Order: sequence, then structure tokens, then C-alpha cells
Amino acid sequence: MGTITALGLLLLVCMVAVGGTQGLQAWLSLIFNFGALFFAMVLMAFHFSPVLVTLITGIIVLAMTIFLGGSDSDSTMVAFYASVVVLILLVILIIPIEHWAQIQGFGQEDSEDLEGMSTVLGISYLNVAISTAILSTLGAIAEAAIAIAAGLAEILEQHPKITLKNLQGAGFRVGKQIIGTTFNTLFFGFFGGFLALFIWFAGVHYSMGEILNDKILVSEILMVLFSMISVIGTIPLTTWAMVTFEREKRRRLSKSKQE
Amino acid sequence: MGTQVKVQNKIWRRWWPYLIVILGGLLVFGVAHDDSLYQTPILKIQSVNRISQSKQSDQFHNEDEQVEQKLNGIITNGSDKGQKLSVENTYMKSEATTLGYHAGQKVFLTVHHNHGKLSATVSNLKRDTTLAFTVWLTISLLLVLMRFSGLMALTSVIVNAVLFWLAINWNTNTQGGIVLVIFGALAVVFAALTLLIVIGPNRQMLMTLLATIGGTALSIIVALIVFALTHERGVYYESMQYVTQLPRPLFLAETILGSLGAVMDESTDIISSLIALKIEKPDISAKQIFKSGRQIGGEIMGPLVNVLFFIFVADTLPLGLLYLKNANSWGYTFNMTMSLGVVQSLISGIGIVLTIPLACGITSLMMGGWKSWARLRR
Repeated sequence: MGTITALGLLLLVCMVAVGGTQGLQAWLSLIFNFGALFFAMVLMAFHFSPVLVTLITGIIVLAMTIFLGGSDSDSTMVAFYASVVVLILLVILIIPIEHWAQIQGFGQEDSEDLEGMSTVLGISYLNVAISTAILSTLGAIAEAAIAIAAGLAEILEQHPKITLKNLQGAGFRVGKQIIGTTFNTLFFGFFGGFLALFIWFAGVHYSMGEILNDKILVSEILMVLFSMISVIGTIPLTTWAMVTFEREKRRRLSKSKQE
Repeated sequence: MGTQVKVQNKIWRRWWPYLIVILGGLLVFGVAHDDSLYQTPILKIQSVNRISQSKQSDQFHNEDEQVEQKLNGIITNGSDKGQKLSVENTYMKSEATTLGYHAGQKVFLTVHHNHGKLSATVSNLKRDTTLAFTVWLTISLLLVLMRFSGLMALTSVIVNAVLFWLAINWNTNTQGGIVLVIFGALAVVFAALTLLIVIGPNRQMLMTLLATIGGTALSIIVALIVFALTHERGVYYESMQYVTQLPRPLFLAETILGSLGAVMDESTDIISSLIALKIEKPDISAKQIFKSGRQIGGEIMGPLVNVLFFIFVADTLPLGLLYLKNANSWGYTFNMTMSLGVVQSLISGIGIVLTIPLACGITSLMMGGWKSWARLRR
């Protein structure tokens, strides 16, 4: 058995042992997301528009992660809608910044990997860079949306008569609780992944100016920042979506009572 | 006097995030005009002429276009400041390894003085303004929307970044010989400092720290056992990027750091919810605490594992595409580009799952088990 298969099966066993059905769903969402990512890459290799492929993949991935992750059906629905809005806003932000930064493709640090490779590709690597940035934020968006929506659903369950204004305040409070730890998840996730690059910079004695303009480093830091922005944006948007949903629900309820 | 101070305090408390936003904006403006701080000559491109354009193809029937352009601009720093210069630049339209430039951009030059005549080639694009702008945007949004909690989150990230840089220099000074020791110890320091900033110095922080360190350590131990049993078949260390030292310990160090944040995130969530539960229902038993903790953990583990998965694997997309366009099979492409990221995600996933019983156990032992302790406290 290969190591990846063994680790994957072990993860399945652990997840089911701890979470039961929910554990199985969590494992399936991970496998599905891997499939979606790989499939998106293959589609891009067949010259489908990278950004379009990414948008569609992104929405499907958000749906799978949120619906397989959450439990309460109303709040997961709200979390999904909010996350799609965040995704679209993020794309609108990412496209001009990536055009501006021009971090597409490979840097001089990659030259060893590129040896013997043809770089006549016919695919716009600017669009690939945009896609990469969007894809790397998907997990963070889904997680934040689920956390806020689930937190608010629980508050609604305990205080069904809470005013909408207080509900909105509660959303921001939940957001404030998660922002510190979520930022660290993102920080360590990205910087852990790029430890080797930083060691390279230190070993080859890059100057500060070289580091701050380096293609790979800038692209990596931009990805961290986009993820952070997506989490910051998810907090108010999910809260507003939840408040709007609750307002509509109450309006319908009072209408049906009047009739 | 007293009321005046109070009013000032109130104004300050309301408006400090905007003050930082304005100061930050000025700083970004400064970075856009910092050319004189660089020793490398910088060219501000004023106009671009396209010289030629030709179709290219390779043995895999990929088609692309090669463009030759002439960048006309003015040098903005150094001894040649103010001098007009034209530089030629060739790029492939897909821009995987070369870049096309346009008017308004600033580029770094490698200048050659040839019998008093100046000639140059472009070495890199000036990207510091974009970077500063995006950092500014993130911090502004964070402080305006999240205020004090945002400031705390920012502080912990900055503190960790500084520590990270110090550790990297230490690693370089020891030639990477003790990379695992350095980053393993650093993980403990990181976790302690971050939790101190986010939670504060109390019992809850201690419990969270224990769960975080335990969970991360467990995942690495489990990973090493699986590695030994499967003889690391399918783990291609040679596909690791930017490696300047022994790849295996470096890979493990990356995995420890990568999963640390998520494990910390999770144990914070579980333990703070359980403590809130204990305050709400003081009579709750240790067993019930364990059970509700398992439920909370079960709900967040899936999304968390996916966060790390996308961070670890999404950035292999450009290289993966390159492999596919070079007529490599799907399997080989996966092995050479994505497999290490997948292994990292799986190890982190196991850590995230194992942290749940650990965090629940620690909480129920320290909060639920000792009834007498709880009574004494009251």
C-alpha cells in the first residue's frame, strides 16, 4: 500500500471514530475537493478558460464543503449563499490586483524544476495565477461562513425572540472570536508550506528589496492576504445574510398568523 | 477637565482605526515613490513599441506567440537618474517564464556601461507597491470591521512573523542540521505566544496549549509510523520545491508548522465552548463535557481540513499545468506536483481529528472531574 492510501484510510477511520456520519461526510468532502481541483486543472490543460473553470469549481466546492460540513439545514443554506457572494466579490478584487502585480508563472527560484520543459504553452498564466489565488481561498471562505452561520443558528435556537439588531451584534461577536485563531490557521498554513522558500532567501542572502519584489514571495503573500480578506468579508456578509433570512422568516410567520 | 479627557477618549476609541487607515495610505504612497531607496537602477516605462510577433510551437503541438517589445522610459534613481533609455524585451504570450511589460510600470534593470553608452536588460518588475497596497487593504478592513479583536489578530500575526524570520536565520546559521529541533521548539513557542495574545494568561490558555501541542505531536508520530510501515512509497521528496537542505526533515518541519495553526484554531474553539457550557450548567458531568466536545469538534473538523487542503494544494496548479502541457500522464503529474501537498493535508487532517478527543479529555479532566475543586472555587 502506498503512503497516501494508508494515510487517507487512517484519516477515514479517525474521522468516523470521532464524528460518526459527520466524520464520513467530512472525509468525502475532502476527497471530492481533491477530485474537483484535479479536474479543474485538466480542464485548463484542455484550454477551457481558467477563470471560468475556477468560478464554477469554486461554487461546487463551496456547496460540497458547506453542505457536507454543517448540520442545520437553514443555516447551511445561508452560509452557502453568503460564501458565493464573498467568492464573487473576491474575484472582482483578485483580478485587478493580479494584473497589477504580474506574479504569473515561475520565478528564477523555479528554474531547476523547469529544466527540460517546454514553456510554449498557449495558456495565459495570468489567468492561471488568478485561478490559483481564488482556489487557495475556498477552504477559508467555507470555514468562516459555516462558523458564523452555525454560531448564529445556535443563538437563535436559545433566544428565538432576539431582536434583529442584537442578532447582528451577535454575528460580529462570533466573528471577533474566530478572527484571531483563523488568521493563525492561514498564517501557519501558508508559511509552513513555504518554509523551504524562506530558507532559500536566507541562505542565498537576498536583500530586503529583492525579497519584497520577488515574484514567488509576492504571489505567496498575496494569497495569504486574499484569504485573510475573504475571512474578514465573510463575517459581516454571513451575518447580514442570516439577519435577512430571519427577518423574512418572521415576516412570513406574522403574515400567516394574521390570516 | 475630567469630561474633556473622557470626550477625547471617546473620540479616540471611535476613530483610531481610521487614523491607522490614513497613515497606512500615506505609507503606500511613499512605497510607490521609494525608487531612491534601491541601489538597482529602476526604469519607469513611458511607452512600449511592439517590434515583432511570431508563432511558436513545440514537439507537443502546443502553440504560442513570441513577442518582441521595446520599452522606452526614464531611469528614476541612482547615478543615471533622469537618463532616457530603451530596453528590448522578449516574451511568450502565455507568460509562464517571461513577462510582457506595459507603459506606466517600473522595472529593475541590469545596466551595462559600454564605452560610455548605456545598455540594459530588465531583471524584474517592481512589485513592492502592489504588495504594500494589498497589505494596507487587508489591515484597513480588519481594523475597521473588527476593531480591537482585529488589532489583536494582527499583533499575533506580526509577532509570529518576526519569530519565524529569526528561526529561519538560526536554521541558516546551523546549515539546516537541526531544522526539526528548531521548528519543533518554535512551534511550541508560537502556540504559547499566540494563545497568550488571543486568550490571555489563564487556565483556559494552558489547556488549549496542551491540546495544541499534543495534537500536533501526535499527528507527526502517527505520520512517522505510517511512513515506516509503507516505506514512504509514493512520497516524492525530489519533487519538493526550493530545497537547499536535506528534504525529509524540512518536509516534516513544514508539516508541523502548517498544521499547527489549524490544530490551535480547533482546540481554542472546542475548549472555549466547553468552558462556556460549564459556566452555564455547573453540574454537568465530565462524561457529558466529553460528549459535547466531540460534537463541536465533529462539526468543525471537516471545514478545517479543507482549509489546509486548499492552502497546501492549490498553489501547485501552475506547475501541474506545465507538466500536463509537456505531455506527462495524469499520474506522473500528480506525483511530481501535488503528492507532497496531499500527504501534508492528510497528516494535518489526522492531527486535527486526534486533537478533538485530546481537547475534550483535557477539559473534562480539569473542569468536570474534580467536583471538589469546583465547589471550593465557589
